[in-house]
Amino acid sequence: MKKLLTLSIAAVAVVVTGFVQPAAAETLRVGMECTYAPFNFRNADGDLDGYDVDVARAVGGLIGADLEFVCQKWDGMIPALLANKFDIVVASMSITDKRLEKMDFSDTYRISVGRLVGKKNAGWKLFDSADKPIPANFKGLKVGLERATTYSDWFENELPGAEVVLYDSNEALYLDLVNGRTDMIMTNPMKAHLRFLSKEDGAGFEFVSPQVDERKYFGIGVGIGLRQGNDALKARMNKALKTLTDDGWLESYALKYFPFAIH
Amino acid sequence: MEAITGWWDDFFWGSLVVVELFFVALFLTILFGLIGAGSKLSGNKTAKAIANGYTIIFRGTPEILVLLLFYFGSAITMTAIAQIFDPTIKFVDIPPFWAGSLAIALIIGSYATETFRGAFLGVDPGQIEASRALGVSNLQTFIYVRIPAMWRLALPPFGNHMLSLIKDTALVAIIGLEETLFVAEQAIGTTGKPFTMYILVGAIYLGFSTIITLSVMRLEKYANKHLEVTR
Amino acid sequence: MSFDIALIIDSIPKMLMGIGLTFQLLFLSLALGTALGVMLLILRISGRWYLSWPTMIYIYIFRGTPILVQIFIIYYGLPQLEFVRDGIFWPILREPFGCAIVALTLNTGAYLSEIFRGGVLGVDRGLKEAGSALGLSVTDRFIYITAPIAIRLCLPAYSNDVVSLMKSTALASTITLLDMMGIARTIVAETYAPYEVFISVMVIYLIITWAIQRTFGWIEKRMSRHVRQ
Repeated sequence: MKKLLTLSIAAVAVVVTGFVQPAAAETLRVGMECTYAPFNFRNADGDLDGYDVDVARAVGGLIGADLEFVCQKWDGMIPALLANKFDIVVASMSITDKRLEKMDFSDTYRISVGRLVGKKNAGWKLFDSADKPIPANFKGLKVGLERATTYSDWFENELPGAEVVLYDSNEALYLDLVNGRTDMIMTNPMKAHLRFLSKEDGAGFEFVSPQVDERKYFGIGVGIGLRQGNDALKARMNKALKTLTDDGWLESYALKYFPFAIH
Repeated sequence: MEAITGWWDDFFWGSLVVVELFFVALFLTILFGLIGAGSKLSGNKTAKAIANGYTIIFRGTPEILVLLLFYFGSAITMTAIAQIFDPTIKFVDIPPFWAGSLAIALIIGSYATETFRGAFLGVDPGQIEASRALGVSNLQTFIYVRIPAMWRLALPPFGNHMLSLIKDTALVAIIGLEETLFVAEQAIGTTGKPFTMYILVGAIYLGFSTIITLSVMRLEKYANKHLEVTR
Repeated sequence: MSFDIALIIDSIPKMLMGIGLTFQLLFLSLALGTALGVMLLILRISGRWYLSWPTMIYIYIFRGTPILVQIFIIYYGLPQLEFVRDGIFWPILREPFGCAIVALTLNTGAYLSEIFRGGVLGVDRGLKEAGSALGLSVTDRFIYITAPIAIRLCLPAYSNDVVSLMKSTALASTITLLDMMGIARTIVAETYAPYEVFISVMVIYLIITWAIQRTFGWIEKRMSRHVRQ
């Protein structure tokens, strides 16, 4: 009996300490995937790092808000935002019309394109000279895509007959491509280059398509997501983003990882 | 193996989250199990019906589904309930730690309900009669006679429930809680070594299961001490 | 709070398309797992330490770690090892379905072997002695006397395990398989309506659980006809 009592008291203590919130000026909870190097990931020291993280911290600093980062699996990102799990999304989320129906976005802080990655010298002719995909040449090939991305959207609408394999996380795309479970993947070319093609596990692979940047699916770029009706916050963030762009900060963040600016 | 260096402390913090989740969920599980068993054993028809519904739903739904439902749905349900009381409230939310603990506790609690119910039925009615005859109140009988007697019978199957509990905590990675599996995924993102990381997670959980199994064996010995044959 | 009924009606047929895969996962791993469970049981009670010890370690590992971790190790982890990619099992392990079956089978086999062991231990010693007094060999005793009774004794625990197995099939959605859970998550990702979709798929799972429990209840009744109530 005594043991149970002590255990219960200990449990309640844990509970109560969990509820204590530090007093803050204004705290914004930021949702991100945390496994999407080099945009938002956790480095070996256990800290969140990446282009998105830098942008988020800079914006937070400029608008005078404390930030609390919340890790969220990508396919639940928008439902989680709508369910008030966090206030803004800084996770390389493209601004698309489909998403604008349910949520709002700040101005862009990065361009948004897609590209297919596959085995070197596979000899596929997947796109014609006008950079349009040739559906027939995709037959029999397995394509790895992450659920709820602009890439899966593009595929669903442009190549409905293709054999698509859906993943929960970005990392899994590369793992399975190397293991031969998929023939190609479609993802962000900057990340593909950095995380994969320039490393040893990407040695036998290359880009097998031109860049795809149809506005309809990829939008005008990547922006900070927030719930609809938060126009004051949106205005403040846009102002901050403009400062970051004009003062060259965005470029400096990009140069940390890429040999070029990405906004 | 060198891939893990730099990540040891992250796995440590992740393991701590597992421990926190375990104890919180354990406390709630015992609570739900006792309430559920009590409802099923009471004469009250409504209580019985609700308890039956509870066990049916939570024993028959996949754990991953319960977790996802709680994570996303809890905000909506809580908000709806809160708005009944105060229409100006826009959003009430449960942090993922609580959504996870609550979900796991409800799931294991439904199994515990059955276990406790069986254990309560196994309590020697003679002891209850004796305690009543001595004028002990119903509540005191419950606390000082029923529960100690029932606990001894419930311990072995409840030990299994505790094992299920700790293993279910791995699922909270799906709702973004940074316990060991989630840390492993982040580590894989930077090191590209899935086998190493997942085996490490497996070893951590195996360690926890072992601790629980040994503790349960200790508790069983303690609970049966009065029944041991002494020379 | 708006409850989108139209969405539910729209999603249910899509999710039922996943039911085929759910059942395939369930029945195949159940069959293989039962076979594995029997094999492990025989090894475990063989009395020879070099057979029972490895078996006990196997059971300990597979019951002591979360099944989700086991699934990830098999699907994402094994390919990291060169000899797996070049080995004979690769065609199976390459496919997410194969990996799921392997993981579910190995896991449920461990649990079932313990359940079978419980059933075997519950058989009255007197019956076994009577069997040997009648001159039956060890194997015959096992097949004709122990097994039928053990099966009846472990039916409740077995049916529980079948339900657990069914619930574990939902984890296949984490390795790209489009079973009911996988389709549900895809729909949620596209419509941003987790509540309605998840509740619908929950109802479907509950119906399946109910069907499994009813079936086993019926089997139990039939097998216990001779037992005096």
